[in-house]
Amino acid sequence: MSLPTDFHFSQGSLQDFADCPRRFQLRYLLQIAWPAVPAEPLLENEHRQRLGQQFHLLLQQHLLQVPLERLQAMAQSDAHLAQWWHAYLTAQPAALPGLHLPEVALSAPLNLPGRENTWRLVAQFDLLVLTDDGRALLFDWKTSQHRPPRRWLQQRLQTRVYPWLLMQAGSEWLSGEALPAERIEMVYWFANFPDRPERLAYSRAQAQADEAWLHGLVERIALLAAATDDFPLTSDENQCRFCVYRSLCQRGVQAGSAAHAGEDDYRDYEADTTLELDFEQITEVAY
Amino acid sequence: MKFTSLPLAPHQAALRDLPATDRVFVRGPAGTGKTTAAQHYLLALLQSGAPGGSVLVLTPQRTLAAPYHQALRQTRRRAGGAPVIQTMGGVARRMVELFWPLAAKPAGFAQPDAPPVFLTLETAQYHMARVVRPLLDEGAFDAVVMDPNRLYSQVLDNLNKAALIGLEYSEIGPRLSRAWGGDAVQLRVYADAQRAASAFRAYCLMHNLLDFSLQVEVFRQHLWPLPLCRDHLIATYRHLLVDNVEEETPFAHDVLRDWLPHTQSALLLYDDDAGYRQFLGADAAGGLALSELCSETFTFSESFVTPPVLQSLVPELAAVLDQPLPPQPPQHVPTLTGLVLAEETTRFYPQMLDWCAGEIAALVDAGTPPTEIVVLAPFLSDSLRYSLSERLARLGVPARSHRPSRALRDEPSARALLTLVQLGHPQWRMTPSLFDVAYSLVAAVAEMDLVRAQLLAQIIYRPKDGMPQLTAWERINAEMHERISYVLGGRTDTLRLWLGESTAKTQQPLDHFLSRLFGEILSQRGYGFHDDLDAARVAATLVESVQKFRQGMAGIDDAPEELGQAYLRLVEDGVLAAQYVESWQPPAENAVLLAPAYTFLLTNRAVDYQFWLDIGSQGWYDRLYQPLTQPHVLSRHWQEPRTWTDADDYATSQARLYRLVVGLLRRCRQQVYLGLSELGEQGYEQRGPLLWTLNQLFRRIPPTASE
Repeated sequence: MSLPTDFHFSQGSLQDFADCPRRFQLRYLLQIAWPAVPAEPLLENEHRQRLGQQFHLLLQQHLLQVPLERLQAMAQSDAHLAQWWHAYLTAQPAALPGLHLPEVALSAPLNLPGRENTWRLVAQFDLLVLTDDGRALLFDWKTSQHRPPRRWLQQRLQTRVYPWLLMQAGSEWLSGEALPAERIEMVYWFANFPDRPERLAYSRAQAQADEAWLHGLVERIALLAAATDDFPLTSDENQCRFCVYRSLCQRGVQAGSAAHAGEDDYRDYEADTTLELDFEQITEVAY
Repeated sequence: MKFTSLPLAPHQAALRDLPATDRVFVRGPAGTGKTTAAQHYLLALLQSGAPGGSVLVLTPQRTLAAPYHQALRQTRRRAGGAPVIQTMGGVARRMVELFWPLAAKPAGFAQPDAPPVFLTLETAQYHMARVVRPLLDEGAFDAVVMDPNRLYSQVLDNLNKAALIGLEYSEIGPRLSRAWGGDAVQLRVYADAQRAASAFRAYCLMHNLLDFSLQVEVFRQHLWPLPLCRDHLIATYRHLLVDNVEEETPFAHDVLRDWLPHTQSALLLYDDDAGYRQFLGADAAGGLALSELCSETFTFSESFVTPPVLQSLVPELAAVLDQPLPPQPPQHVPTLTGLVLAEETTRFYPQMLDWCAGEIAALVDAGTPPTEIVVLAPFLSDSLRYSLSERLARLGVPARSHRPSRALRDEPSARALLTLVQLGHPQWRMTPSLFDVAYSLVAAVAEMDLVRAQLLAQIIYRPKDGMPQLTAWERINAEMHERISYVLGGRTDTLRLWLGESTAKTQQPLDHFLSRLFGEILSQRGYGFHDDLDAARVAATLVESVQKFRQGMAGIDDAPEELGQAYLRLVEDGVLAAQYVESWQPPAENAVLLAPAYTFLLTNRAVDYQFWLDIGSQGWYDRLYQPLTQPHVLSRHWQEPRTWTDADDYATSQARLYRLVVGLLRRCRQQVYLGLSELGEQGYEQRGPLLWTLNQLFRRIPPTASE
């Protein structure tokens, strides 16, 4: 097989490749629907996922100037939601003068030397703030129960991919002028730990390193796709406990419990049940 | 389909090179390169510096957006925002979701502080059934004989059409009644349809449920007039590209009429002689009227698809069916060489199918790719699908079918899963048939054949006190162990134990039960779904259907206690798992397509050869039997007060037939084969209006001209 010439990468798909190349192949290249349980307890994860989505929607509505009193009433439908909403209003993490762009989707070409293709990197940010003093802040709202340490966040693909993508595509709001890396900052804000956001400044050196690393990763995927019909399975079988394809790969029967994940594992398991961002999968009512 | 950057014709290039400040209307028949030019226009717009996120591409249905997705994916573009490709219904739904806190109260929802629940076609039908059943018990609709599911869908259809033309839902019945000039019994039917619609609307408002009609109404009445929402949309999307504007509804046209003056640029594409989605509320005239808001109109007339021999038939058809000539009629000498008839008259339906399959095989042998051939019929019955596929298969020609109404519950893998659900929930007292149990074993256990499955099912399946039960493998006698094999018996027993343990567990939602059954048993090695990716796809769709049903019941205080059981009963009644539109089907392969004629038209693709089957059938002409509704009366153009007459019926049917035939001709690159059998599929003699029309065509065009 080969990597389609018009393939779109996202932080989620790249993270999947980093976690398990086979999962990447099954999910994104072969697009195999496999309705197994990603992680237990399913009902609880589903509930948390729904609350997380409601929280993101509330914030988006707030940023679109929907009157506060109406949102206040909506937030009272669940105790967690009400608590997160209160924390958000108290902390006002993005209350900075400037242009606020919630749920903004960007993409950039991945022009690898010697490759004729239209590969792109795509992402949707929870909030992009272009401040009046020329900074670009990327906010990511987290509703996870545990607050990951800085080092763990630094290693996540999201942290490497989002600022790089913004640097490539951000000129759209700057009359075509390039956005310098030093002005970009990634902010993880935790609804359960509102006073402890993680701010990760970007730099030119980091951007260069990220680009080289990103191109290398994509090149690796392309070479692997050209060389084999079966991408290798991860050697870390713990990953399989939280992967829907475990039965297809003969790597287990039951889903692992998110509550008993490893001590250094801070993933939002409930988020694994959400669909990967895909610009072509836009909700439509059949009629 | 691939996006190609072949050189454009000068008029296409002129469109592409327009500045991003114009509002342009492009009209022309299908096949004249409008969409191709618009793909290039979109890319040029982005290249010129328009922010991607400021571009909204609107199409009447998702399938028609494919060319734009391809153009964006298959072209090297600079970094930036992503253009949004949507339907107007999708825009409305998104706005309702975003600005719900501002709309819920004024729209009359009983729980304005709770989130909305968006209904799918399937879940809307379920809730409609809940509302209408008590009315049926009271004797409503006793004058019509029809499947209850069709009844529910027609009430929903009325609500949708009313919302799309801006008619108060309470006016549906009165308007239909005022237009009715026949038997008074029908007036009772319309009154019942109104009662059902009103009761359903009240039920939705009570429970925060939004079917399609309510999404449209909430957006139209409460959000589009609201500066916060309108300014958000107008400020976000400053460039509009609207394809197939003739297939859009009055609702979409109204919004565009307000929106267009605020855009920085706009491109609207209009297909002449189309409007095929009229039965879904499409308003071609309303689409054409939007040209008034554009500063420039381009007319494309040169077809890149239809050869002159087929184009030459269009004015002749217009004359036969008494329709206005196309704006720029082709100037070719009429000829019949584009139409192919069987050399010998076929009297019986199977003979026609033999002829059709033989001609297709000959074309494929001569080098035509199967994907360049379609077989079209007014309806695609199971028997037609089977009969023709069999014939083609015997001749070595691959075929696939497309029926928009094919039900998920008819998929063998889904049926097997639903049988296992019944076995896993004996307390529901639903006992599947012996055959269903045997079949579920064939599907579930790898290497199990039907003979052994039936034998095994006869032994282990023992319904008791109305509850399904399976006996343990170890209790079967040794002879049967040998006949069935220990391997298959062991696998079946593992499945039995899993089902038993699952029953004993705490109550779990049905979709979770299915996910676990799939993941922990059926997709494991030794079981039927392990290597069957199509079966897995069906399972995924079923899980999604059950999940949406459960989520659609959120907030319903009198919801059935056992939602899973209710789901199963509704599947049996045909209400649920009947509406999934082919989403589980594998992608199209290089095969001959068998499809209903309108379905093919709505995919908007051209092929080399078309086979029109059964041209004597009345089905090519008749409107669907819909006693509860009337698309022409529930239309923006219906003039009150007046009565719908036979003359109206005749005129609209003639126009519909003309649009259908011309639409098909314009999507054919080589020839149309006309399949005729004197006796139809049911054995009756056939002399439908399409046959009459074609006969007239053959009389008008002298044979000499066709030689």
